[in-house]
Amino acid sequence: MEKFDLLKQRIKDSSETRGITEYELYYSEDSSISAETYRDEISAFSSSVGGLLLYRCIVDGKIGYASTEALDEAEMDALVARAAVNAVCIEKDEKAIIFGGASPDAYQKVPQIEFAMPTAAIIKKEAMKCRDLMYAKDSMIADGTECGAFAGQSVVRLFNSNGLDLGISAGNCGEYLQAVLDNGEEKQYEYDYLYNQFGDNEAQLQELTDTILAGAHAKFGAGKVSTGKYNVIFDHKQMKAILSTFLPAFFAENAQKGLSLLKGKVGETIAADCITITDNPFYEKNPMQIPFDGEGVPTKKKNVVENGVLKTLLYNLTSAEKDGVETTGNASRSAASIGTRVYSFYINPGELTRDALFEKAGNGIYITEMKGFHAGADAITGDFSIESAGFMIENGKIGAPVKSFTVAGNFFALLKQITAIDNVLEMKAPGFTQIGAPDVLVPDMSIAGE
Amino acid sequence: MMISKTLLEEVLGRAMSSGADFAELFAENTRSNSVFMIDGKVDSITDHTISGVGIRAFLGVRCVSASTIDLTREGLLRCASQVADVIADNPTALDIHLTERCFGDVHPIQIVPDTAKKSIKIDLLKAGYFAAKNYHEDITQVTARLLDTDHKILVANSDGLLTTDRQIRTRMAISAVASKNGENQSGFSGPGRRMGLELFDMIAPESIGTEAARSAIVNLNAGYCPAGKMTVAIENGFGGVIFHEACGHSLEATAVAKGMSQMAGKLGQKIANEKVTAIDDGTIPNAWGSFNIDDEGNPSRRKVLIENGILKSYMIDKLNGRRMEMEANGSSRRQSYEFDPTSRMSNTYIAAGNDKNEDIIASIEYGLYAKNMGGGSVNPINGAFNFAVSEGYMIRNGKICEPVRGASLIGTGSEILQNIDMVGTDMKTGQGMCGSSSGTIPTDVGQPLIRVKEITVGGR
Repeated sequence: MEKFDLLKQRIKDSSETRGITEYELYYSEDSSISAETYRDEISAFSSSVGGLLLYRCIVDGKIGYASTEALDEAEMDALVARAAVNAVCIEKDEKAIIFGGASPDAYQKVPQIEFAMPTAAIIKKEAMKCRDLMYAKDSMIADGTECGAFAGQSVVRLFNSNGLDLGISAGNCGEYLQAVLDNGEEKQYEYDYLYNQFGDNEAQLQELTDTILAGAHAKFGAGKVSTGKYNVIFDHKQMKAILSTFLPAFFAENAQKGLSLLKGKVGETIAADCITITDNPFYEKNPMQIPFDGEGVPTKKKNVVENGVLKTLLYNLTSAEKDGVETTGNASRSAASIGTRVYSFYINPGELTRDALFEKAGNGIYITEMKGFHAGADAITGDFSIESAGFMIENGKIGAPVKSFTVAGNFFALLKQITAIDNVLEMKAPGFTQIGAPDVLVPDMSIAGE
Repeated sequence: MMISKTLLEEVLGRAMSSGADFAELFAENTRSNSVFMIDGKVDSITDHTISGVGIRAFLGVRCVSASTIDLTREGLLRCASQVADVIADNPTALDIHLTERCFGDVHPIQIVPDTAKKSIKIDLLKAGYFAAKNYHEDITQVTARLLDTDHKILVANSDGLLTTDRQIRTRMAISAVASKNGENQSGFSGPGRRMGLELFDMIAPESIGTEAARSAIVNLNAGYCPAGKMTVAIENGFGGVIFHEACGHSLEATAVAKGMSQMAGKLGQKIANEKVTAIDDGTIPNAWGSFNIDDEGNPSRRKVLIENGILKSYMIDKLNGRRMEMEANGSSRRQSYEFDPTSRMSNTYIAAGNDKNEDIIASIEYGLYAKNMGGGSVNPINGAFNFAVSEGYMIRNGKICEPVRGASLIGTGSEILQNIDMVGTDMKTGQGMCGSSSGTIPTDVGQPLIRVKEITVGGR
């Protein structure tokens, strides 16, 4: 932190010399290390140390931005000068806001886990361990099978002229395993992640490898589906992808620009009773929790949708000012703007076990793979039409694999059509942002097959 | 980039210290600016400095890399040690001596944009913006962006090379939306050069705005394109994007070395119609995709990829060159120090032929004239592509007729190369940002007017 404090002092001096009284400094530092295997050796290794200083200041009521990766004291003067010049060039009518501050009690304490970045040797060893497990277990294993280990660490500091001085640091590490199986006629693959501490994780890795290999085997000999309406269960990975795609609809700034169909819907029912969606900066299973947002506002846990009713959109200071409400502490920070972000954002799990959910579905399709959201989904209208694969559901049980069909629908309609969800919420990608959902049952989905 | 020669030598020595057979350091300091306008007002200004170092070490065809923003001696040595720790396990002491080489600069810059007053840039942008907005009453929204970068690089390697380059680029990109009866259509124009603000003495900002708006209005008043197999004339300039995507990428060593390309193992073979000669040339003065040296420090080159239908060469970087047992040819590029470089295109185009434009159009009884192309996608393994035609017209009885919208061209790289049977005389380029494993980099695409004797046109 010593380095940041030196830079901060230079920024302070330089701003004050120029008569700038309102300014903010956002600093982030990220390091990462990863290794990947191909056949029987390490095929790729990379390590990076990155960092970024984002400065903004208010001059004549307008806000200007400048940023740099050159973290030396000499650069700080130039940074302040550039932001000041940029401020006076801005013409849009928008109130320039730098957060006035909050009492220290307003920031929730988050677990400070001491995280030590693993060495290159440990990362290498961990990746090879996964590789060996995978190759030992299955004779059908083929080229394309990849195992990797990775670790990352982030530091964020935020300082402003209104007395704010905040900081957080967090890290995580894990393994990535992808199996490609070849039965002589076709190839199938399956992958998954594991986040844990390196070292004593044999049992977990064994279990994960078994699940991945079983998943790949189950896909062999997939058949076609006839076109029609089906009861569909989207597995948690697909529901997560759907929720991620349409996430921007929950941002107030998009509603204000006419880019969200949730505009004006707060207080109305937008989803089935069983749906409660939470945005939680303090989700306990996430090692990367964060008590302040991109503007320094205290973050908080809130239900965005509660039993189907839209409770709030997500705000930063600017979008909140426009709607005359309090910010929800969801500001994101980038080089030249403030946007909106989420933390741990998830559909809360329900009561049913996974078996009971399949029982309830009776007959239908279990969708476990969807490809091409960037082209097949319209984030504004909610329409989607996505190439998918999965399994038939027959008499409440998982049946034969099926592939090459398209599932089509509308996100906003789907939220209301959901009839049941299961009781498992798995979120496997800890970062400051992660999105998750249980398996969900939606009757009468349109499937285009043969 | 204040890294002394002595420190560079020490860092490279550290990267080689476990037994690598080659090490390289790439340092960068880039100023990147953009001014964005919407609703007739300056909305935001991005003003960013990129600064860092990427180190790679090779042992045979293995490569290990690391990057850092910490340019202190300790930071650089730590980065080099990471690389050494992984690449090999055979302690070696090496004395590296760097000898500086100057390749010179063939891209004169008159007004370095990063040093120009912001108000000058804003005036240029407004001239373009309002030319689009005021073009027609049906133009309902315009967005305009003026981008400039000043990219300074240094490359040093264990062969003793030490060299630098400074790459300055400027671009104005304008999008216009035309609306009528609840329907929206858009138009785009975005010329750029490896030049300073003098670019706008050559290309008036007003012409950029007008072109975007004109195209939007044409589309607003167009009917839908019929579907089916037909003869298509593709106009010069950005029309070259199909060659870039469907053929160019499969000539990059990145794809060829791993056998992932339909073009692997085909040097000397006829892969295209004899009318087709294609070139990748990073040496063109002030062209968008040009550079004096590539990101491995090799001078840029002009490479004939296809000559009269025969495959002549690939684009090759050092690592893939080792895999293919061929020499690198000035084609290695990376977005920044954070990316590993690989073989990429620079300014890639189908060379001028000798068919007259009027003969090409007159030869088509029924077909499509694709005046401008939009985005698309390509499957790199089999070369299957699908590109949107952003401005198209029907051709009947050898004449260009009414505009049509919603057309797309569907085919494969190898098929279209065989089917290009007329090539015009007026080669022109268009600017793009090309994304691949080593990041997003500026590239020119280009061609003269060409005739594709048969291709599937998607429409309704």
